[in-house]
Amino acid sequence: MTQENVYADATRVRGDVIIELQGVDKHFGDFQALKNINLNVGKQEVIVVMGPSGSGKSTLIRCINRLEKHDAGRIVVDGVELSDDIRNIQEIRRETGMVFQQFNLFPHLTVLDNITLAPRQVRNVPKKEAEELAMRQLERVKIPEQAQKYPGQLSGGQQQRVAIARSLAMQPKVMLFDEPTSALDPEMIKEVLDAMVELAESGMTMIVVTHEMGFARAVANRVLFMADGEVVEVGTPEHIFENPDEDRTKLFLSQIL
Amino acid sequence: MAVQTDTAAVHRESPAVRWAKENLFSTWYNSLLTLIFGALFVWLGFSVIRWVFFEAEWEIVRVNLTLFMVGRFPREELARVWVSNFLIAGAIGLMAGAAAASAAAAAKEAGLPFTQSTPRNWLQRFWPILLLVVILLQFSQTWTPTVLTLVTIAIGVGARYVGLHLPRAVRRWAWLIVVVMLIGAYGALSWFGGVKWDSWGGLHLTLFVTVAGIVLAFPLGLLLALGRRSSLPLVRMLSVGYIEFIRGVPLITLLLMGIFALGFLLPPGVDPSDVTRLIVAITLFTAAYVAENVRGGLQAVPKGQTEAGQALGLSPWKVMRLIVLPQALRAVIPAMVGQFISLFKDTSLLVVVGIVELLQVSSIANNQPEFLGRGLAEVTLPFVALIYWVGSYTMSRESRRLEKKLGVGER
Ligand SMILES: Nc1ncnc2c1ncn2[C@@H]1O[C@H](COP(=O)(O)OP(=O)(O)OP(=O)(O)O)[C@@H](O)[C@H]1O
Ligand SMILES: [Mg+2]
Repeated sequence: MTQENVYADATRVRGDVIIELQGVDKHFGDFQALKNINLNVGKQEVIVVMGPSGSGKSTLIRCINRLEKHDAGRIVVDGVELSDDIRNIQEIRRETGMVFQQFNLFPHLTVLDNITLAPRQVRNVPKKEAEELAMRQLERVKIPEQAQKYPGQLSGGQQQRVAIARSLAMQPKVMLFDEPTSALDPEMIKEVLDAMVELAESGMTMIVVTHEMGFARAVANRVLFMADGEVVEVGTPEHIFENPDEDRTKLFLSQIL
Repeated sequence: MAVQTDTAAVHRESPAVRWAKENLFSTWYNSLLTLIFGALFVWLGFSVIRWVFFEAEWEIVRVNLTLFMVGRFPREELARVWVSNFLIAGAIGLMAGAAAASAAAAAKEAGLPFTQSTPRNWLQRFWPILLLVVILLQFSQTWTPTVLTLVTIAIGVGARYVGLHLPRAVRRWAWLIVVVMLIGAYGALSWFGGVKWDSWGGLHLTLFVTVAGIVLAFPLGLLLALGRRSSLPLVRMLSVGYIEFIRGVPLITLLLMGIFALGFLLPPGVDPSDVTRLIVAITLFTAAYVAENVRGGLQAVPKGQTEAGQALGLSPWKVMRLIVLPQALRAVIPAMVGQFISLFKDTSLLVVVGIVELLQVSSIANNQPEFLGRGLAEVTLPFVALIYWVGSYTMSRESRRLEKKLGVGER
């Protein structure tokens, strides 16, 4: 009855490793939010992170682009190890896109300016080229007609797709998603997930914190289950959803289903 | 049943009557209040009109109008004041035109409705200033100021037209032209054997000190606010210390210190004029409050904005400049304009250090032999108050307008 879990070791991947976490700890004061996290992510791999509230999912992906500073262990992204050196941090952030639960679009800029800002300011792409690039990304998320609007004039689903386009315009090697659909009305979730599925199928390396099991089944190579700051269990979506080894996983799945 | 009779009545009544019934006479005590306040207003209005048109002896203002406008500015050099007025009107017009053109272009690109200001809403916006100008011209009795005022207005309107139709490439540099024109306005007054600002006075000096205070205090306050958030402890401590010190001291103390007490801070041989010292004191004072306003704005920008910028790889400085500051400043426009209105009104404190600003002019006029002891401060003070009110009210109105306009991209 037990199906063999080929991915039970979180450090085993197919192909080249692009993100490497070794023994990562993170404290907020006395509270330990991450406990000895080990994880390797392969190129073009899609990893879905699940777990109860407060289990450290956000903290985990925020450590990868240094929105939070880990206090022990190593994090290496595309061959660059995160250190206190601001240049290392900038380099990793350039290669790593992030999509937030609350979209975090810049309300004072038009959609187009939201997207062209970073390519122009960080990569020094000329204005015209940046705008063409931005329009391509907007077409990819299927809202090119919204380019001249302000974020406040868009629906939540449209805003989140702009946020995805904004990250993609930096042509990152890795995309991090922190509950991208949990602030959305149900009827808008699909349009965002569709964009993410398309992105996954195009070969983007992605770490996605989400409880959308349909998305996980469709595109995730591995599902990572976290609780209390630890990686409790890793495996294919089928394994985690149908035959989880750990009681905490079972309990959690019974609650969200 | 009652409803039916009501609707029947409504059909016969004009909207004004209906409004009055609903708002002024809805209950017996509302009716009573309406009557009492109505009587009060009628009496007040009647008294004011009687006083303004029949009782008040405006002679003192009429005779001293030039004194009120420019203080002791040498009369033979007055042409310089007009030249500087022309330049300032041109600068303001150009700026307004260029701003309106960019706003229109942005709105057009965004496919948003954009309503150009019509003469009618210009009247709504600037009637207090217009009123003041009419009053001043009515007092001046001679043709020269009227003609020159009309020329000033014409230049302003013309410059606005030019600003509105500048080619895009030139428009980007319009601010530079404006700065040059403003420096030119100062130069017209004081260069080439002109009049140093210690001899300026009246409304002219009040406006100059206000504008100089705003222009200098804003960047300084911005730096202090950023310093307060700096990751360098020394910078942070200095900023906090400065802000808290200044906010704990009344402006008048700073003004007096600026004149009498701080000489030891200056290198020997350097002795700035009183007006210079006062402008510095006012700037230092206002900057601390600007800093606190900006700090409030910075705190109001959600943390997610900074994080989104960082996650895109923007440097901390660019996150601040391109993402946080524009939002923070927009949020504090009303507070900031409030601050600048205080500054404008606080220039009246210069009276205690003997600068010939508006209040001082009022007392000089009342000490002239022909007006001495006639209690005419009751005429000059309301006149000064009117000038302050026109300036303050216009600023606050324009700030509300700007706030609404900038709200376009609001979440
Ligand atoms: N800045 C912070 N300061 C103090 N504690 C924090 C901070 N950020 C997170 N924590 C704590 O760390 C733990 C993990 O937080 P995290 O946001 O990573 O959880 P999560 O799994 O993303 O939860 P959720 O599903 O609610 O988003 C929580 O207990 C949280 O209270
Ligand atoms: Mg979270």
